[in-house]
Amino acid sequence: MIKTDVIIIGGGATGTGIARDMALRGIDHCLIEKKDFAAGATGACHGLLHSGGRYTVKDPDAAVECITENAILRKIGKSCVEPTEGLFVRLPGDTEEYRDQFLYSCRKTGISTKTLSASKALNLVPNLNPQIIEAVKVPDASIDPFRLCMLNIVSSKRRGGKIFTHHKVIDIVKTRGQCTGVKVLDKFTSEIIEIEGKVIINATGAWGSQIAKMGGSDVPMTLSKGSLIIANHRLTNLVINRLRPSSNGDIIVPNETVSLAGTTSIHVDDPDNLTTDPEEIELIRTEAAMMVPDFDSIRLIRSYTGVRPLLRAADSSKGDRAISRGFQIIDHKNGMFSILGGKLTTYRLMAEKITDRIMEHFGLNERCTTATTPLEGQEDLAGYPVSKRLGKIEKVMCECELVPRDKVKKVIEETATKSIGDIQHRTRLGMGPCQGGFCTYRALGMMQEMGHVTPDESLDTLKRFLQRRYKGSRPLLWGDQLREEQLVEGIYLSLLGMADHEI
Amino acid sequence: MKYNVAVIGSGMSGIMASIYLAEKGLKTAVISKGDPICSVSSGCIDIAGTGSDTFLEIEKFPAEHPYHKVGKEGIADSINYFKELIGKYGFIYSGDIDKNRSILTPIGKKRTTSLVPFPMEYADIKEGENFHIISFKDIKDFFPSYVVINYPGTKVSVFDAETDSTLGIATKMDNEDFLLTFISWINRQNIETDKVGIPAVLGINKTDSILKKLQEETGKLFFEIPTLPPSIPGLRLYRKFKKLAESKGVCFYGNAEISNFESENDKITEIVIKKPGRPDTVSADAFILATGSFVSGGLRFNKTEFIETVFNIPVYSPNSTDLFNKDFFKLGHPIEKAGILINENFKPLEAGFSNLFAAGSILANSETMKYGCGHGMAISTGVAAAKNVEEYLK
Repeated sequence: MIKTDVIIIGGGATGTGIARDMALRGIDHCLIEKKDFAAGATGACHGLLHSGGRYTVKDPDAAVECITENAILRKIGKSCVEPTEGLFVRLPGDTEEYRDQFLYSCRKTGISTKTLSASKALNLVPNLNPQIIEAVKVPDASIDPFRLCMLNIVSSKRRGGKIFTHHKVIDIVKTRGQCTGVKVLDKFTSEIIEIEGKVIINATGAWGSQIAKMGGSDVPMTLSKGSLIIANHRLTNLVINRLRPSSNGDIIVPNETVSLAGTTSIHVDDPDNLTTDPEEIELIRTEAAMMVPDFDSIRLIRSYTGVRPLLRAADSSKGDRAISRGFQIIDHKNGMFSILGGKLTTYRLMAEKITDRIMEHFGLNERCTTATTPLEGQEDLAGYPVSKRLGKIEKVMCECELVPRDKVKKVIEETATKSIGDIQHRTRLGMGPCQGGFCTYRALGMMQEMGHVTPDESLDTLKRFLQRRYKGSRPLLWGDQLREEQLVEGIYLSLLGMADHEI
Repeated sequence: MKYNVAVIGSGMSGIMASIYLAEKGLKTAVISKGDPICSVSSGCIDIAGTGSDTFLEIEKFPAEHPYHKVGKEGIADSINYFKELIGKYGFIYSGDIDKNRSILTPIGKKRTTSLVPFPMEYADIKEGENFHIISFKDIKDFFPSYVVINYPGTKVSVFDAETDSTLGIATKMDNEDFLLTFISWINRQNIETDKVGIPAVLGINKTDSILKKLQEETGKLFFEIPTLPPSIPGLRLYRKFKKLAESKGVCFYGNAEISNFESENDKITEIVIKKPGRPDTVSADAFILATGSFVSGGLRFNKTEFIETVFNIPVYSPNSTDLFNKDFFKLGHPIEKAGILINENFKPLEAGFSNLFAAGSILANSETMKYGCGHGMAISTGVAAAKNVEEYLK
């Protein structure tokens, strides 16, 4: 039996952000995550550090939160934020009226803007559609959500926080109607651990209702899935948004060696059962190609889908895009608090607010310092961006993202992990154009050589990985990506002999 | 330049066709865009299926499979012809073409094939058989522990070649001093078994003498285990086969992407090669299209249409609503049936060209991965197309 003050459920940006805040204020805590960090919406988003521009017209409060947090994260998290800046581009058909509203709202919400003529914008991003009318520059940035979560956890671990990844909450323990602990299943050993805590925080995003229900409460949420596609080149150095009211396929984000384009917004009921529909991909691709025409011909290497945990609005007739991207804290009055809604950009603020609430609950008044304390552990990260990794290119395990063997070895040593995702998220192995087609086999080979997995486990993991990888690329199999797929199939099914032979 | 025959594609089928034609005294050129897919293969000649008798397996193939156009005798003759030719050129293949054998894969599974290149002669490991593995420190495309799962008695020794890539180690092996150091290290290891498995890095150009020396100096029977690409056995086969063709007088145009072609009535007369500055042209009396399937770039799928990338001739498209299986490990996506349909003379149907022939995995319904017939299909249809070209030019 483990005893702690605060049990945080969920290892996304919010959960890890709360762990960091608790740690900096000296609160004993433990965090439980059923998969790896950033396994839900945090890791399945487009990695955009919003300037707030996207929300400024419709939801000025959310926009103010974004721009404030944007400035803070640039300061405290230099190694996981790439200050790309962003453009809102106006294409033929996008109204001047919206542009004026946009500029006005940005002035009111404090988002700095600079209007650029078409030729200046094209100088800045030569791949833009030459038909653009004009563009507005805003302080958008690209952020690596996996690194962000890892860094939050460093602060927690350094101050004694107990972190359980790949552990699933299977029950909430109640004593006289109060939530007093959790029962947790270790997914690697199948062992069940009991953790006792004074307060439980439900920071599980899309899984919020499931956890709240275990504690006997209901939460007002709705789930909206959003899909993204990844192109095999960095097509732009700036984030590109469409200067029009938010709709499907209006954003392109550069992320190290690749570019992401999204998104869609479709209501779903089950966060564990997501599919990416071919229509969604075609929609995103066509819309992205309006802004950057290369999307017509570029090799798309993967598609994926995440779930936005949104606050349920009183009037839901306007669809999920009309729902506020703000967040809400609910005190269930039984020892459990839920934190709902929000977005990656405002994760720190969300953590601050709920930690304030818990301090109040405990009658303590330690102040929040997460906005001014730089994220700890940044010095240990492999060089960022990728250009820095070019300095050391011997013994490379992942050629796409230039991940050296030493770095992979270090992660395996430190985490003793059995999960390939843990290595991918910590080193960017397999995140580039071949999507792990070559390097996953290598990383798993290293894990077994170092004794952390048996060869059988490693083959199982390889199989699951290949199946998952195929699921992401199956909707994109045409042109060059079809060639890549046939090559990968040739390697694994034929050369390695992994095919099922019942024809 | 003017040739009797221009073969487009330098994979197994293209080179095979070119050698056949050159041997018949025809002036032959091979035009290729880049290295072919066989250069990342295991170098083994897969003929058919997973059963023990290759020709029984072929009988089970669907009626529309291109093998049936070659016929049993044609398949046997052409693959034996290949085996003999390349064997005389110092690249010995072991095995009988009517039988399958199994070889060890890099993850300790078994893979069915028919002919194996000489460094894999002893790779047919029986259940419970003991062997030793020599691996290399930090080698990134071979992990012996995968093999050991299924062969628990296997012991592993690790040599430090001071490089982590298969290509790097193979290049070093070609160097005599390195090889001697390696051999004296092997002799200091305590190897109890007769057979020794080693990732496929035993040199690129001098593999036969390296293997001979290893066996003489250590008294062990070495066999190579294929690795992930870059695959040295595939590279060796491609280089050797190409040299063999050159020795027969075949002229190679490498890095040659075809940008256009010219025709007169129903004959293709000339192909135009993309080049900086002035384009190059190759004219011929007959053309063989051996550009491969999607992975090689002979076919292209653009979400709705199938395109043949050189002459834009009609492509047979599979009649299926779902072109891709849902399961990665299930062999044979419906899309792999796509390709060029041919008549009994290996001429593409409905292409409208009387001097165009096709061979290899670009042929419709070949499904080489599903049927385990990659190089076998390439060799036999390559020879068959070449024979028809020979006939046509008479």
